[in-house]
Amino acid sequence: MIGLLYALVAMGFVVIYRASKVFNFAQGELVIIGGFIVWFTTMQLGLSLWLSIPLSLVLAGLVGYLIERIFLTKLIGESVFSMVMVTVGLLILLRGVVLLLFGASVRPFPIIFPLKPLLLGDMLIPMNLLIGGIITIVAAVGLSWFFNWTRSGLRMTAVAEDHVVAASMGISVKGSIAFAWILGAILSTIGAMIFLSGKSLTFLASDIGFAALPVALFAGLESIGGLVLAGIIIGVIQSLTTNYLDPIIGGSLGSVVPYIIMLAILLIRPTGLFGWRTIERV
Amino acid sequence: MRTRWQAVCLALFLVVMLAMPYLVSGRIIAVLNMMLISAVIAVGLQICTGYAGQINLGQAAFMGVGAYTASILASKTGLTFLLTIPLAGFAAALFGFLFGLTATRIKGFYLALTTLAAQFIFHFAVLNLPSSWLGGSNGVTVPAAEIFGLRFVTETQQFYMNLAVAAIMIAGAFGIIRSRFGRAFIAVRDDDVAAGIMGINVAATKANAFLIGAFYAGVGGALWAYMIRFVGVDQFTLFHSIFFVAMIIVGGMGSIVGALVGVFVIRTIQEVIATVGPNIADSVSFLGGDIVFAGMNVILGGVIALFMILEPKGVMHRWNILKSSYRIWPFPY
Repeated sequence: MIGLLYALVAMGFVVIYRASKVFNFAQGELVIIGGFIVWFTTMQLGLSLWLSIPLSLVLAGLVGYLIERIFLTKLIGESVFSMVMVTVGLLILLRGVVLLLFGASVRPFPIIFPLKPLLLGDMLIPMNLLIGGIITIVAAVGLSWFFNWTRSGLRMTAVAEDHVVAASMGISVKGSIAFAWILGAILSTIGAMIFLSGKSLTFLASDIGFAALPVALFAGLESIGGLVLAGIIIGVIQSLTTNYLDPIIGGSLGSVVPYIIMLAILLIRPTGLFGWRTIERV
Repeated sequence: MRTRWQAVCLALFLVVMLAMPYLVSGRIIAVLNMMLISAVIAVGLQICTGYAGQINLGQAAFMGVGAYTASILASKTGLTFLLTIPLAGFAAALFGFLFGLTATRIKGFYLALTTLAAQFIFHFAVLNLPSSWLGGSNGVTVPAAEIFGLRFVTETQQFYMNLAVAAIMIAGAFGIIRSRFGRAFIAVRDDDVAAGIMGINVAATKANAFLIGAFYAGVGGALWAYMIRFVGVDQFTLFHSIFFVAMIIVGGMGSIVGALVGVFVIRTIQEVIATVGPNIADSVSFLGGDIVFAGMNVILGGVIALFMILEPKGVMHRWNILKSSYRIWPFPY
C-alpha cells in the first residue's frame, strides 16, 4: 500500500516530465511545501478541513506556477544539463527556504483521514493508505486519459518531445509547462496529505521524493498507468525485505532496496517497463 | 601556458601561495586548506561533468570512499601517506567505475539518478557494514600524515602537503584534457552518437571519465581525512556533492581554471555565511536557530539556479568574452 503512495508522488515526476522533459529533482521539496501549506491553513488559520484542503491545493498550484515562472520559463530550449541542474538547485533552495520559514522543529500534522484502520481478515490496513491508494488509482486513470486522449494532453507530449519544434507548430510551450508544474505541485500536496495525515511534519519528510524515484524509473518516465503497477511491485519488495531480510542482516536494507532495484533497471532496461524507446540519429 | 606572461603569472601565484602561511592568519590558512582539497575534487568533477558531459551527483560519495580507504589503510596498516593517497584514489576510481558502467548505457538525467544511488548506497554501506570495518556511525579517527619522521600536524604543514598534492593533480588534469582522452571526452560530450561514428569508443570514454573523476575525488577525500583526522559518514552527503557541482557551474563548465575559480567563490561564500550567520540569527529573533545551514541552502540553491538562468557557461566564459573584446577593440567582433 505504501507503494501506491510512492506511485502518487512519482506521478508528480511523470507529469512534469511528460509535459516538459524536465526531471524534477525537487519533487520531495514540493511535497513538504504542500505539507506546510496544509499545516498552515488548518493548524495556524484554524480553517475546517472542507475549506482548507481546496485552499491548500490552490495555494500549492500557485507555488508550482511561481516556480515555473521564475526558474523554468527562461530555460525553454536549453540543454538537459541546465534543466537538471536548475531542479537540483531548486531542491537545495526550497529546502533552505522551508527551513528559514518554518525551522527544523517537529509539528503535528492535521488528521485528514480517519485513524481507525480497516480490518480485512488478519490484515490491518491503515485508513490513510487505503484512501490514498484509491486516490492514486483514480488520479492515474484520469491523468492517463488526459495525456492520451485530450488535445491539451497531446499538446503537452509534443512540448516534451522538443520545445523548439513544438513552439514553431504554434503550441504554447510556456503554458504547457506551467500547467504541468501546477499539476505536479497539486499531486505532491495530495501525497503530503496522505503520507502525513495524523503524523508529524518536519522538513525531513522530503525524503519521500527520493523514495518515489525508483518507482518513477521502474515504470518508465512516460507511463502514468505503469506507475501503479511499479508502485505496487516496489512497495511489496520493500516490505518483504524489511520483514524477512532485515532481521537477518540487522540493518535497514529495506530503505536501500528500491535504489538497488533502480540501478538494476537502469542497467537492464533504461527506459523502464513502459517507457518509450527513442531512436537517436545525427 | 601559451605565453611568457602567463608563465610569469603562474610562477608569481605559486610563490605567493608558498609564502601564504607567513602572510595571513591561521584561520585563513584553514580556509585555504579546504579550498585546496575542494579544488582537487572539483577539478575531477570538471573532467567528468564539464569535459565528458557525464552528470555526476555522487562526487561526495567517491570522496568518501577515498577518505575511508586512506583512513583505514593509515590506521590499520600504518602505510605512509605517499602510498595511501594514491591507493585512496584507486579505490574511489574503482567505485566510480562501477557507476561509470551504467553510464555507458544511459545518459542525461538518468545518469544523475544512478550517481544519486551511489550516494545512498555509500551511506548505507558505511552505516551497515560491521562497525569494526568502517566504524559505522561513529566514524574513524585518522593518524597524522607522516614521512621520514616528519609529521603533518599543524595547519601550515598540512597546507604545504595539500598544496603539493593539489598542484600535481591540477597539472595532471591539464595534461589529461590535452591528451587524446581529453579530446575524446569533449567529442562525447558534444554528441555521443557522432563521436561513435567517428570511431571513438563511446562506452570506454564514458567509463574513463568516471574513473578519472572518481580518482580525483578519492585523492581529495584522502587529503580531507588527513586534515580533519576523523572520517564520518555525515561528511559526504548529497548536499556536499551538490556543493561541488555548484563550484563547476559557477566557474564554468569545461574549464579547469573555471573549476578553481568556482571553488574559490563558493568556499568564500560558505565561509562568510558561517561567520555572519550566527550574528544574524542573534539579531533577527523570529528566524529559526539553524540559520547557518538554512542560509547555506538558500544561497547555494540560489547561486546554482541563477547561474543556470543568467550565465549558464559560468564566470570563465564571461572572462573569455571580455578578454577577446579587449584584444579586438575597437571592433565589436
